[in-house]
Amino acid sequence: MTDCLAIEAIGLRKSFRDVQAVRGLDLRVVRGEVFGLLGPNGAGKTTTLEMLEGLVLPDSGQIRVLGMDWRDHGTAIRTRIGVQFQSTELDDQVKVREALEMFGSFYPRARAPSELLRLLHLEDKADAYQRRLSGGQRQRLALGLALVNDPELVFLDEPTTGLDPQARQGVWDLVRQLKGEGRTVLLTTHYMEEAEVLCDRVGIMDRGQILQLGTPRELIAGLQQPSIAEIEFLGSAPDVGPFTAQWGKPVEVKEQIWAVPLADAKKDLQSLLVCIEALNLPMQQLHVRRASLEDVFLQQTGRSLRD
Amino acid sequence: MGLILYTRIPAALFWIVAFPVVMLLGLGTVFGGTETGDRKLVWEQSGPPSPADALLIAALSERGTAVDPLSAADAEARWKGGKLPAMLEGRDGRYRLRINNYLVGQAMQTEAMVQEAFLVAQARAHGLADPARIPVVMSSPGGHRGGPYAAYLLPGLLGLNLLMMGVFSTGIVDVTLRAKGGYKRLATTPLPRYVYLGAQLTVRIIVVLIAAALLMLVGALAFHIHNEGSYAGLLLVQMLGAACFISLGYLLASFAQTPEVYSGIANLTFLPLMLLSGVYFSLDGAPVWLQRTADLLPLTPLLRVLRAIFNDGADLASQWTGIAIVAAWTTLLFAVATRRFKWV
Repeated sequence: MTDCLAIEAIGLRKSFRDVQAVRGLDLRVVRGEVFGLLGPNGAGKTTTLEMLEGLVLPDSGQIRVLGMDWRDHGTAIRTRIGVQFQSTELDDQVKVREALEMFGSFYPRARAPSELLRLLHLEDKADAYQRRLSGGQRQRLALGLALVNDPELVFLDEPTTGLDPQARQGVWDLVRQLKGEGRTVLLTTHYMEEAEVLCDRVGIMDRGQILQLGTPRELIAGLQQPSIAEIEFLGSAPDVGPFTAQWGKPVEVKEQIWAVPLADAKKDLQSLLVCIEALNLPMQQLHVRRASLEDVFLQQTGRSLRD
Repeated sequence: MGLILYTRIPAALFWIVAFPVVMLLGLGTVFGGTETGDRKLVWEQSGPPSPADALLIAALSERGTAVDPLSAADAEARWKGGKLPAMLEGRDGRYRLRINNYLVGQAMQTEAMVQEAFLVAQARAHGLADPARIPVVMSSPGGHRGGPYAAYLLPGLLGLNLLMMGVFSTGIVDVTLRAKGGYKRLATTPLPRYVYLGAQLTVRIIVVLIAAALLMLVGALAFHIHNEGSYAGLLLVQMLGAACFISLGYLLASFAQTPEVYSGIANLTFLPLMLLSGVYFSLDGAPVWLQRTADLLPLTPLLRVLRAIFNDGADLASQWTGIAIVAAWTTLLFAVATRRFKWV
């Protein structure tokens, strides 16, 4: 059983002075899957990751990585994992190929820099200094450094934060490729669409705990209200008070859109239209969509992810 | 690898390798001291030189000083410029030497020389033999041989360079790597800490030794000063100094979270050490308690040992007190620095 687990963590706790960053977290990541820890800033994702990476000692709890314990097999684990931080600031004076060579020299066995450059699409930047790279190129290089030892398990901390959509797509392609090669990936993100697109399983984290665990589809299907109706107004939306009074359930207001969760799209849409009609709302558009992981988070915590 | 990186940071290379050479050339030349023949004395003269003036000019010239005769207005303009340590005024036996009270040190040398020339000129005017002088011999404290100011300066710069390497170069890199997560990233690799730190030390010591070699080469070419002692002894003392100040750098770095904070701490440590150490000048005029304190700081005894070896050819055994003080500091700093050192 433990053999098919890349990561097994039980009852992890960690406090920094008077802040409880992680409070009683259990996590099992199966070999070969892409697992996403999803949550807002300050949810404890990075601390969790750093405990699993052997950088931070948990106050209590147990961790096994690739079936081994950090205390006894630290070097063996480090040889087989790859780590990418949120922001890796390497020496600006090191060229791309040199960085790959240098990190490769830290491991008993390393992939050839030319092979990694091809994988990262950085062949034409091989002799460039790192300060000359764009954000996306830097991020790909950081990813490449995490892959230099041909790791079985890869940790990616917010790999696409701050990237433009095209660069993000490039990182996504790389992650899919890693999965295709049979590696296990544990990533954190606060982008819902990223988790939905990339992850086999997602753990929703808030305030140092995992609130819910499952495939993105399961999590969405498990919602009380799996559909969302969005009422869009031209210009600014009117006061939502009379509507919630009549509708009887909470509504999320985002600028000129009201997002109304629906338990059963077929039945509830009917009454929604009646309600709109009765209040004579100056509605511009109405459309119904499937709930997203963001809605899962909202309904779990009562808060929006981006707060 | 680290060496290549050094060549890509011109600023770092400048401070460690070129700066001492520039200091040696600059200060060694300005305060060159013993060489004679090119000194000039401004003389405010209102008329053509009298026979008495001619005798004084001749006596001055024998002492390597040429006279620069200027009119009253020109001389006054030069004096107002503030760069003249001393200026001779008057003519025909009624002279006055005006001394710049900001530059007394330099002016005193001029005064002694002018007074002597005046006595000689007077004696000759009366048909007497030149007055006798007490003979003067140039020699360094160890008695090995005399040397220009640059010879005093060079071992000082060798030692100062070790301090700069430790406090600035080592400490800044340490703080930056920790602040930007570089150490954290390294901690996720199987690279053992001692290999990484050992590599850092090796690179720094190599750079310092290259700088030292260059400094000695320039000293030999420009000022004809040579190491009078054994190179092995010099190397050993420099390694000890490097160990001492690199430990100091790591220790100071452990108190700073950001490079900005660190540069404050580093300067606060560096400046007193440098000023009290006698790198550029002797501390003889300072209060005794200050001199005694300076003797116990690591840089002062280190410089004394380096000077003893380099200028006077002393052997290590005769310098054991200085070496013991530096070694004690090294042990202490190393112990505390290792205790406080953190990867993450």
